[in-house]
Amino acid sequence: METSRTLRPLSRSTSLAWLAGAAMAAPAVAIVGVLFIYPFFHSLIASFQNKSGNWTLENYSFIFSMYVRDMLFTVWVSLLSLVILLVLTVLLAGYLRLHHSSWIEFMFKIPLFVPFVVVGHAVRVFLAPHGTLNSALVFLTGNWFNPDQMPSIAFSTAGLVAALVWKNLAFSLLLVLGAFRGINNGYLEASRNFGAGTIWQIVDIMIPMSKGAIGVASVLMFTSMIGNFSIPAMLGNSGGNQVLMMDLYYQIVYQNNYGAANAIGVISYLVSMGAAIYYLRTVSRA
Amino acid sequence: MNESTLTASSMQTAHSAKRVFRPGRMILRLILYILSLFIIFGPISSLLLWSFAEKWYWPNILPTDWGLLYWQKVMDGKMLQSLNYSFVIAIIVTLSSILLTVPIAYMLARFKIPAKSLLLLIFLLPQAFPQLPVFTNAMVLMYRWDLVGTLTGVVLTHLVGALVFSVWTLVSVFQSIAPAYEEAAVMLGASRLRSFFTIALPLAFPGIAAASLLVFLYSLDEFTGSLLIGAPFITTMPIYMYNAAMGYEMQVASVTALLLMIPGILLLVLLDRFMKSEYLSAFGRV
Repeated sequence: METSRTLRPLSRSTSLAWLAGAAMAAPAVAIVGVLFIYPFFHSLIASFQNKSGNWTLENYSFIFSMYVRDMLFTVWVSLLSLVILLVLTVLLAGYLRLHHSSWIEFMFKIPLFVPFVVVGHAVRVFLAPHGTLNSALVFLTGNWFNPDQMPSIAFSTAGLVAALVWKNLAFSLLLVLGAFRGINNGYLEASRNFGAGTIWQIVDIMIPMSKGAIGVASVLMFTSMIGNFSIPAMLGNSGGNQVLMMDLYYQIVYQNNYGAANAIGVISYLVSMGAAIYYLRTVSRA
Repeated sequence: MNESTLTASSMQTAHSAKRVFRPGRMILRLILYILSLFIIFGPISSLLLWSFAEKWYWPNILPTDWGLLYWQKVMDGKMLQSLNYSFVIAIIVTLSSILLTVPIAYMLARFKIPAKSLLLLIFLLPQAFPQLPVFTNAMVLMYRWDLVGTLTGVVLTHLVGALVFSVWTLVSVFQSIAPAYEEAAVMLGASRLRSFFTIALPLAFPGIAAASLLVFLYSLDEFTGSLLIGAPFITTMPIYMYNAAMGYEMQVASVTALLLMIPGILLLVLLDRFMKSEYLSAFGRV
């Protein structure tokens, strides 16, 4: 015992550290493993099984006959929101990088602290046909504006996009502004000396120099929009196209069809994974 | 990062010293202020209006009868119970996720451990994939363990997402602390454990506060898991609000929404200085 102790103190202490490290990591990994990774693979497998447990593709043929339009709608809504969000974020972050304004920065941090469900409800009340925005417009235009002749915003694509953009504004602004602040002033001053205004400094210097951060922000936003359930649930819809997550919830709660629900889930994983692969391929190398 | 923000702010002051009156810039700034007020406070103000409206029929621009009726109604009823549930759950989730993730984040930030990127990937998955399809499968598991409709079940589901936020934030927090201090302490004979508790942990305190804040708000906001796992016995605030909004109880839903916003806004004001964009910009890029 004595000899081994003096001979190999290092390996003993490292194996002890090993054990300690593994023990420290274990509970957190176990929670994510059991409650996320295992169910994730379970849903993958279950999507290829029917109710009696036989292998089949009927869940997929069922959802493709039912929900193709909703799949396209989900991707379309997420992409549209992402584009609007990125344009807004980059312009705002660029402006804030050049003209410091703690007030505007503070204002746009607020959505980060407003819960998703609250955003859904607030946008619904704000944009409903007889909602606050239309009431204000009627008041301001002296009854010239008639919301009953306008298409309803709240329960349509526009309402969904507005809510998704509003909620994600703060997070993407933090990410992009962080990257913009990391850019050395010398580059910006140089471009100013050549006569670049705010817009050109953003387009020519800030965006190319923060491709990575903008890419990460886009992928994070896009996947969170694809998987978002609380905002469409709060907004409801007027019978048109629906987001895939709502279809999934419907299949579980009203149809009790777990096979179809899992197949929808797998489709949503594939879309998210597509975004992640795009990120790994292009953004992380840039 | 810190250096560049410093130079940015010092440049800012130099810039304002030779301030020239430029009407174009003033107008732009004014438009931005008004626009941000409209975008951020438009939806929120609708909630305020609705929460104090006792009667409000179209086409009245403002509520016809104002009052605290619905605030009282909400305070008497089941809402207090869900308020209680929400806060108890959020506190338990915050404390346990900090306890679970400080050691693992420290390990990931400081030591060369095998499968480091795999570990980090595990803690990215719940954010990278849609949660609803996974949680429906986790729900099946939880039925087996009799956890559906229990506090434990809801806490566990919240932890899945909460761990992601706290691991990623804390890893970048610990990475931002120079290891030289701890190395010096170890050199002078302190144990690794002691150097961690007397040096790394106190230095990481602002970052830990930021992580707790993120996790607390995440838990308060969590909808998908609470809806699936909590029902029918544990009704958290978001679920209570969802039920109210689906029943077209606009006032009740608006009051709940406002109450749900208070902790976030409070924490935003109090802890603004803890929320550094640098912590968030490291998300997904370690």
